[in-house]
Amino acid sequence: MRTTRLTPEEVKHLYQKHAAALAAYACSFGLDHALAEDVVHQLFLKLLGEKAFAPQAPVAYLYRATRNASLNLRRDRWRETDLQVTESWFTHPSGGHDEVFTLQNALKELPDEQRETVFLKVWSGMTLLEIAEVTETPLNTVASRYRYALEKLRERLGQHLKR
Amino acid sequence: MDQYDDETERYLREFRPRAIRTLKVAPKARNILSRCVAAAVAAALLAGGLLWFAHREAARFQEAAKIPPPEVNVARGRRYESALALTKLALTDNEKLESLLTEESRKILPAVRGEQSTLKVLAKE
Repeated sequence: MRTTRLTPEEVKHLYQKHAAALAAYACSFGLDHALAEDVVHQLFLKLLGEKAFAPQAPVAYLYRATRNASLNLRRDRWRETDLQVTESWFTHPSGGHDEVFTLQNALKELPDEQRETVFLKVWSGMTLLEIAEVTETPLNTVASRYRYALEKLRERLGQHLKR
Repeated sequence: MDQYDDETERYLREFRPRAIRTLKVAPKARNILSRCVAAAVAAALLAGGLLWFAHREAARFQEAAKIPPPEVNVARGRRYESALALTKLALTDNEKLESLLTEESRKILPAVRGEQSTLKVLAKE
């Protein structure tokens, strides 16, 4: 079990690898991208803070904390939140906004656990086994969530996927 | 994972999360200890200043207390009282007034009867 706090270098590495995906994940809860950046920055500043803070599984912690902070913010600012997708939190090599918005809407419709699994697997580069470990969830459950998520995404992304 | 899942995953990986701005860590504020020390020094300076001021004021007060009060010119009053008493005496006891005036005049006027009186000294010259 980890007992010491993260070093600044470790935090920097986590930021470089996961910050962008975390911001996109925050956007999937209805935040605009600027607010999502703020959420992510606050989390990393907390990791860098003076108080000894040592999450056992930093990546899982970051995703859970991003989810909680995003839900809190969305609840507090529900009047301000524009439920329509008006900005992109992903980019695609083709530069097509239709594909991006279709993906974003499809992700927003996924249940929280499935969406978290997709983000961890696809955009944070973790294996299903690692996801199972850091989320303390049975591997079979993680695999099922991922498979169901891909199935739903495939249905929603169908026309783009077949190109 | 079946072929469709692989294909879907590959397609998803084509999307990249939008880059976010660099995390800027503000320089750490002075720690609490140094703030406490600064506050203590400021409080000590203030207390010292107040003590010095109070001490100085007390010394000035003591100096002022040492200065004797201005003398009251009682001669004039005494003279007035004396004149009043003499008037009273003139009305009640004229003899006594005469003897008193004689005595007083001896104190004020130069002596003429003594060995060293002014008249005798002048006469010798």
